[in-house]
Amino acid sequence: MPNPFQPLQNALRTLVENAQVLPATGQAVVDMVTPDLEEIYDQRTTGEATIHNVCETDARSLYRPVRPIPRSEEHGFRYFVDGSARTYFIGTVLEQDRSTPVQISQVGAAIVRREDDGRIRVADSRRTILLTLEKSQVSEPLWQALEHALVGVPGYTLCDSATNNRYADAIGLQEPRPRGAHRANWHMRELEIELARSLPRANDEWLVVDGSLGNEFETWRGAPLVGVAKTFRRDSRFELGTGPRARKINLFGLLKDLQENQRTIVFPRNNESKIVFWYVRIRPQKHLDYPLMGVVKVEMPNPDRGPVDSHLVDRISGWLVAERRVSPYGRDGRWHAHLYPIYIAEQVICSQFYSEEVLKSGIQWPF
Amino acid sequence: MTRQMSNPIGRGSATESDPNTSEKFKFWIRPGQMVNPFDIVAAEHFPAEGGDEPSYTFGLVTNIRHITDAASHLANFISNDFGEEVDEAPQTPRQGANVAEAAVLSNSADIYMPVQNESRVYFADEDKIHLALGIDGIPQERRVPAGLIQMSNGTQAVAYLDRHFVLGPEAGHVNISGISGLATKTSYAMFLIQSLLQTGPEDEIAVILLNVKYDDLLRIHEPRRLSDEERRQWQQLGLKPEPWPTDRVHYLLPWGKHTQTTGRPNSFADPPPPHKAYAYPLRETVSKLDLLFSDIPDPTGTLSSIIGEVMTGVGGNEIAWRAVQTWDDLLTKPPLVQQGIPQKFRNIQPSSVGRFLRLLRRIVKTRQSGIFVPQLSARMTTVEREISNIQGGHTYVVDIARLAPEEQTLVFGDVLRTVYGLYSGESLPFDTYEPPKKVIIFVDELNKYAPARGHGETSPILEQVLDIAERGRSFGMILFSAQQFLSAVHERVTGNSATKVLGRTDSAEINAGNYRFLDPDIRNHLTRLEQGELILSHPIYRQPVKIRFPRPPYQQGRAQK
Repeated sequence: MPNPFQPLQNALRTLVENAQVLPATGQAVVDMVTPDLEEIYDQRTTGEATIHNVCETDARSLYRPVRPIPRSEEHGFRYFVDGSARTYFIGTVLEQDRSTPVQISQVGAAIVRREDDGRIRVADSRRTILLTLEKSQVSEPLWQALEHALVGVPGYTLCDSATNNRYADAIGLQEPRPRGAHRANWHMRELEIELARSLPRANDEWLVVDGSLGNEFETWRGAPLVGVAKTFRRDSRFELGTGPRARKINLFGLLKDLQENQRTIVFPRNNESKIVFWYVRIRPQKHLDYPLMGVVKVEMPNPDRGPVDSHLVDRISGWLVAERRVSPYGRDGRWHAHLYPIYIAEQVICSQFYSEEVLKSGIQWPF
Repeated sequence: MTRQMSNPIGRGSATESDPNTSEKFKFWIRPGQMVNPFDIVAAEHFPAEGGDEPSYTFGLVTNIRHITDAASHLANFISNDFGEEVDEAPQTPRQGANVAEAAVLSNSADIYMPVQNESRVYFADEDKIHLALGIDGIPQERRVPAGLIQMSNGTQAVAYLDRHFVLGPEAGHVNISGISGLATKTSYAMFLIQSLLQTGPEDEIAVILLNVKYDDLLRIHEPRRLSDEERRQWQQLGLKPEPWPTDRVHYLLPWGKHTQTTGRPNSFADPPPPHKAYAYPLRETVSKLDLLFSDIPDPTGTLSSIIGEVMTGVGGNEIAWRAVQTWDDLLTKPPLVQQGIPQKFRNIQPSSVGRFLRLLRRIVKTRQSGIFVPQLSARMTTVEREISNIQGGHTYVVDIARLAPEEQTLVFGDVLRTVYGLYSGESLPFDTYEPPKKVIIFVDELNKYAPARGHGETSPILEQVLDIAERGRSFGMILFSAQQFLSAVHERVTGNSATKVLGRTDSAEINAGNYRFLDPDIRNHLTRLEQGELILSHPIYRQPVKIRFPRPPYQQGRAQK
């Protein structure tokens, strides 16, 4: 097999010839993103923690029973999208008194389709390799030379860690190396959104997006979709109604009484209701360690901002509860809230990544 | 018969922890595709030096594993609502694959690099099965049909043996093992003998069959009704479904206690086939006297001394032994007995002579079935006489089914000793008779005559069997043997059998060391073989194969009923 990273050699040579390079000790080193990134992003981007309204047609109770709806009865969720990103630090470039880490990221996203018999096939996927530097820390001629070196090289993208990095911006990250890793994750999210938007689907073929829906979906009027988040902000408070019967409750209080096969009432995200959300318990509490385990947060675009049809939410929740079989227990720490088809989509992408051994051997600074 | 290679059934799979090697490779199987152990597959491989077309590495499927992404059984339990849900199918079936493991047979371009990851894998067609097993290298005139290989996709191929590796000179002997009834050992031996006779110069081969059970082999000249399917199988193999020609089968049945009055031999056959009755008077038996005592422990060698004296004295017609003409004479008259009392003979004590006489009396008088007679009458013959006149293309069935164990040993040993004398040049010919080039001797329950024993333990019959097994091939004597348990037979006999055939075997037996030549997965498969299915190991084949063979075209006597 030829070296898959050969196309990168021109860019690395450009860096070596035009600046001083301090290679990473022991070749490439994995750079991680912040743990609970989704939860923090959810916290920072979904506005007020306190919710004052509900947003569904039948809002008589805080909890509603949900009946599991297997695909043999109604096959709602047909598509599932997820992505993955791995970032490696390969060295530091010094130019004059400026410096920037150089990182390589393997980023990808896959969308899988579930057939009538339950079997999964890959509907579409995207994969790219990012060469990430902080653009402001290198001279314009060097940046242009790097761009030139990667022109016409398919599958490789030069990336500035300082710009278009909303994860890092949301959590206030300043360190350049973590910013590079978060930039790759943001790129992954962009690939997921691109896949979700581009794949043609019928109106009864729902798509499940892994994690919270970004603001990009506030005006979504395409084929139906929901975002299903395994981890979500925990500082939410719900102050519902007024007067002596008003309820004030925090997230833990809300979810501790959420029983198996139940969902919460639907709430608006922000006060604009362009995206609504609710919680569904997909696994019984008695088998889990903690009230928040076994619960997913479901988000759905609501561009018309009106109350959502309760029966539709019941159906969606029923589909979700049925998704508890099977689970990636033992493969993922978040198994209790992980949807298995999403896990498969993630595996599809990860299986396309080059192994760390290949990456370490394939990327050599041309000194 | 042949079904061409069509669509790939999967692709080669090599992982970090489970790599492919020059000996084995794995491939995942396309969903919905049926593959079974013993299927022969072809994996695309590097082209031969200077060529463009891919070569093929052939493999024998030895096992198939189903893997899933479940980290543990607990994961599956939890995935079914913590064990609460057992009826409904899961919303998304767990990701899994069937992965087959194949033992490398050969490569079409002699490339033994491991099968590469993602290599396309196909079912082999008949030509490729022959290529895989090495059958393509057997000259046409030496090919002996040995059964049908049937694969999961319906492909069938004839498994051929190399005549030179069955009848010599390259290798020889056939040994068949398996549980009685299910392994169809006798039927297979007979099928193979028919195949050898039909596909070669039959006049060069004589066959001696020992009938050890009921009248199994006493009706082989009588046709049996076969179904169209059974006839089709015979045709596929290129053989004629015909019984033995009546004029070329000779039955030797034992003389019995009542044969003199009833005219019926001591046989299960009812009515008996056209036959000659054999018997053992003392004078014609004395040279084989040692065979009668094969199972008697003789740690000090005293018994052999007496037997040696009797064989020399009576056989050499020495003066002291002239009065001894019959078995009764030997038991009651001098030199061994006088007035009913055992005598000291040479340096052998009377007590030892007494023991010899007691044992002999039990065998030839008390428990005898009738074959030990005072003299031969005109209606009797001897096995030695008949066997020493065997003709090529003729089959001799020697019935020993109703004989006592010592008698069976005597007859079998007599056959072996006579044949060995004919072929080894030990006996001096006085006429122009020439034995056929090859003689096949088939015996079931070989463990009775050549049991697995501790090192150094031996017996006259065992020595006779070992002689045939180790040196017989070079003289043209080929042993076809069968037994229930391979481990129960002397390893020098089974070790010298170049072709081994295994039928259904029980699980305790397959753990014996004798089965080490089989891949562990194939070994386990022995416990699941169906009636009529056999595992065939032949020097030409790189791995044993599973075969089926058609039902016999002759009557099988009581076994058939």
